[in-house]
Amino acid sequence: MAKPKDIDWRELEAIIDKHRGETWALIPLLQDIQETLGYIPEESIEPIAEALNLFASQVQGVISFYAGLSLKPKGKYVIRICRGTACHVKGGRSILRFMKKEVGLDEGETSPDYQFTLETVACLGACFLAPAMMVNRTYFGKLSPPKVTSILAEYGKKKGEG
Amino acid sequence: MEEISLTINGKNISCAPGTSILNAALQNGIKIPTLCHHPNLEPVGACRLCLVEDEKSGRIMASCVTPASPNMVIHTDSPTIKEHRINIIRLMMANHPESCIVCSQGNRCELRQIAAELGVGQIGLYPMPHYTGLEAANPFIIRDLSKCILCGKCIRADHELVVVGAIDYTLRGFKSRPATVHEMPLEKSDCTFCGTCVSLCPTGALSLKNTRYVGSPQNESSTICGFCGVGCSLVMGSVDGQIVEVNPSHKQDTVNRSTLCVRGHFIHDFLSVPERLTSPLVRTDGDLSPAAWDEALELVAQRLIGIRRKNGPQSIAFLGSSKCSNEENYLFQKMARVILGTNNVDNGSYGSGRTITSRINERLDAGGRVKPLAELERAEMIFVIGANPAESLPVASYYLKRASRMNGIPLMVADPRKTALVPFSSLWLPLAPNSDYAMISGLAAILYKRGSYDKDFISQFTEGFDRYGEDLSSFKLEGVSRVTGLDGELMERAADLIEGKKIAFVIGHGILQQRHGILSMDALLNLALMTGSLGGEGKGLHFLTMENNQMGAWDMGTAPDFLPGRKSLHNDLIRKNWEQNWEVKLSPDPGLNTIRMIEEAEKGNLKALYVMGENPLRSLPQPERISNALKNLEFMVVQDILATETTLMADVVLPGAAFSEKGGSFTNMEGRIQSFEQAVAPPGEAKPDWEILGLLFAKMRYPKRYSSLDKIKAEISDLVPVYSALERNEEQTWIKESSNSRLFHLQGEGEPIHFSPVIKTEPERSDEDYPLRAILGSLRYHLGSGTRTAHSVRIKDFALKGEVEISLEDSAALKLKEGDQVRISSAHGSISREVMLNPDLRPGLIFIPVAFHNNDVMNLIELTQLGEANSPGWKECRVRIQKVEDLC
Repeated sequence: MAKPKDIDWRELEAIIDKHRGETWALIPLLQDIQETLGYIPEESIEPIAEALNLFASQVQGVISFYAGLSLKPKGKYVIRICRGTACHVKGGRSILRFMKKEVGLDEGETSPDYQFTLETVACLGACFLAPAMMVNRTYFGKLSPPKVTSILAEYGKKKGEG
Repeated sequence: MEEISLTINGKNISCAPGTSILNAALQNGIKIPTLCHHPNLEPVGACRLCLVEDEKSGRIMASCVTPASPNMVIHTDSPTIKEHRINIIRLMMANHPESCIVCSQGNRCELRQIAAELGVGQIGLYPMPHYTGLEAANPFIIRDLSKCILCGKCIRADHELVVVGAIDYTLRGFKSRPATVHEMPLEKSDCTFCGTCVSLCPTGALSLKNTRYVGSPQNESSTICGFCGVGCSLVMGSVDGQIVEVNPSHKQDTVNRSTLCVRGHFIHDFLSVPERLTSPLVRTDGDLSPAAWDEALELVAQRLIGIRRKNGPQSIAFLGSSKCSNEENYLFQKMARVILGTNNVDNGSYGSGRTITSRINERLDAGGRVKPLAELERAEMIFVIGANPAESLPVASYYLKRASRMNGIPLMVADPRKTALVPFSSLWLPLAPNSDYAMISGLAAILYKRGSYDKDFISQFTEGFDRYGEDLSSFKLEGVSRVTGLDGELMERAADLIEGKKIAFVIGHGILQQRHGILSMDALLNLALMTGSLGGEGKGLHFLTMENNQMGAWDMGTAPDFLPGRKSLHNDLIRKNWEQNWEVKLSPDPGLNTIRMIEEAEKGNLKALYVMGENPLRSLPQPERISNALKNLEFMVVQDILATETTLMADVVLPGAAFSEKGGSFTNMEGRIQSFEQAVAPPGEAKPDWEILGLLFAKMRYPKRYSSLDKIKAEISDLVPVYSALERNEEQTWIKESSNSRLFHLQGEGEPIHFSPVIKTEPERSDEDYPLRAILGSLRYHLGSGTRTAHSVRIKDFALKGEVEISLEDSAALKLKEGDQVRISSAHGSISREVMLNPDLRPGLIFIPVAFHNNDVMNLIELTQLGEANSPGWKECRVRIQKVEDLC
């Protein structure tokens, strides 16, 4: 089984050191780690807390609060399907169902090869594109099953695999 | 600033700007229901029950987080508000399990109370309780988070009051709960089991783990904690005359402000153990057997008087207690001095460094003693030396951590070990044991060279600075680095931190029990004088006192060279004055201190010893030597609450009462005199100690009768000016200082304080046979030698092993791993322990917690007089470690 990206502890330490003493910078720091490693390893909670003069419990509280921060490794590509009202009206639920089948994942799951993570979002704020989704930072709108298939192909997912 | 006026429920009121609407209402007797509000915590507006309506704007807002503004017209109970409140409560109840019938919170549940007040019975909503597992593996706290209403009081108390940070919210929305890091059980988290969260929890989500279900206590009474010198105010709940629960007092001006520590909260279960003494015991045919009070007291009176007649007053000694009340200590020393004519009186605080603290007392003439802990939160900077209050006096450590984390006050910690305060400090000075005097003088020398000292203060209040300055300018800083192990740069940084600031010093056993305690004290006082850090708010010396009434016992004269009021016995005028007070001729002969009592017993000169509330066989170094010395006595009386190593050797055992079973007063480390009343009756035939002493006074034909506590209080307040406020019987008052130092006089009359010379010493030589240095110190689960705390059922259940802590380097060199059994030997004795690796310890040092395994660690150190030139101190000793299997 493929492994998530190995933690580069030196890289992690460098990110933490960049913000040492900056109690206000907890969220930028966490975003930095999330961006670099794709998740925030549990083992980094204590060093972060120590560097920022916070309690470890506070750091954990912030990480677990935000959907954008994760303590679990995620796939290389994070697919976020919009479950907002506009998308729902335009068939967002079917898109989700189709996507689940295509990537073979349920909501919140990550593929064993750490290629894909499937998530849902309350609203992407792109109602004019409904039904919409994001893959990492790219928006995709006016989705249909064939369009989903072709987008996935772009990210290297062949039909039926999963 | 001008007051704001507004209307609440038709009543015109005014309040200071910035006051929340909730507080403005409360100040005016208008009640608003709340679940998440607490006067000692920052408001967060979590529960929304305190909603109020502004008639003018129509806005509905949470009154706890909305400041009152001018001309508001607030309604706290309008139909709209009521409806909202009822809905909030209904939703909370829909999310709450229906386990009230087995919930120990019972009718004290605030959710239930408010629901009842609002008339919510059936909620009419689909119940959606959020079941979580019950956590009850530790012997202190049960967590049933399905009952949590997310008020956040536990989290805020943990962060804002106790400053531990073991828990915070985790997740979001419906799943949100207070959680430890990595969701570990409490015993594997940073939790210190202070139990403050349990006391503040409005529901049954957090509750006290009791050995049997007790529900709500039948009675609640206020008292003062009998463990350490902080003197926390408590509320003790009892069922059928037994203490079943302890909480911090609800009063506002207490030293502990709704916090407690694990001892105060959970360890009072030792009060109802079967080892409590319940009837007087008299040794007949070699065995102790129950006797009637009259018989036992008659025997004590006759034997003591008989021995005095035969061997003279110097053959009798009295060992009083730093745990007993002021009233009891006063009577105790009076019995020794007035009836038996001896000054051989001491108390357990000898081991906490009284002879060393005495140096400050001498140099300041007992000035600067009133030092409220609250001042620490307003200090310019705090310097903690030789103290680890997070373990020894936890509630005092909360003040330090709050000062640092909440108020940003610079905190400097000088300690060989990385203590729990270090993460809160601006600078840590990891100095070699016993080198504090060099570090302190080094700092003074740097400041002197920089020319940064308080010239006005020095010229106004002190004498001898020129000479001191000369000493400092010839002081070699390289020498300091050699002795302390601190490099020049670190010392400069420490001086930067102090420079230009008034310092609040916090001093602990690391100084008070060490080899160079007196030298360190002198150096410290010089530094305080030089920086003008004495005589005023937010500066001065805070001494951490290990036991609840260490200060009071000393003040009452339960010390060989002090008469009540901490006045020297060797001052003829003072002695004459007390001769008049007591209408008796007092012996001018110096009395024996604790150690000299043991030495005289060894020599056979001491014939009788009266011990009240002390367990010298467990608390003093070299227990075997103590035991042999005590065997030499012709007669020993021990008055105590528990059967101890010492009571077993006694000829007469008198069962006394614990603090919760009697009235009296204690004086805490701040100089606060706190009176307390009886909460429950003593067990069996046991009696309050003052009553026992009063009966003995009568048996010894003393004309005055001490039949009530008030009589003793009246005599103390009459004769001891420092305690003149005692008789008023207020719950708390402060000692009245009297010092001849002009620093402590408003009009500037009186004597200057003298600088003492700077003494240079060399680094201590290492010892090949004993290459490691063991530091002995406390863990928060025990107090002192652990006589009382080791009896606690909860502490026994917690099964701490008291492992020796070893650095990674030393453990590698000695091929030791976690859990190995080792033998630790010093020149005086040896003990066995399990190994625990501590990555924060510096190589060469090991740490051994005291109080475990019957406090056998006392075998390692030598019985010497603290503060004497030849004493190696009681804090540290040289040892070697061997793995047990290697020895077999």
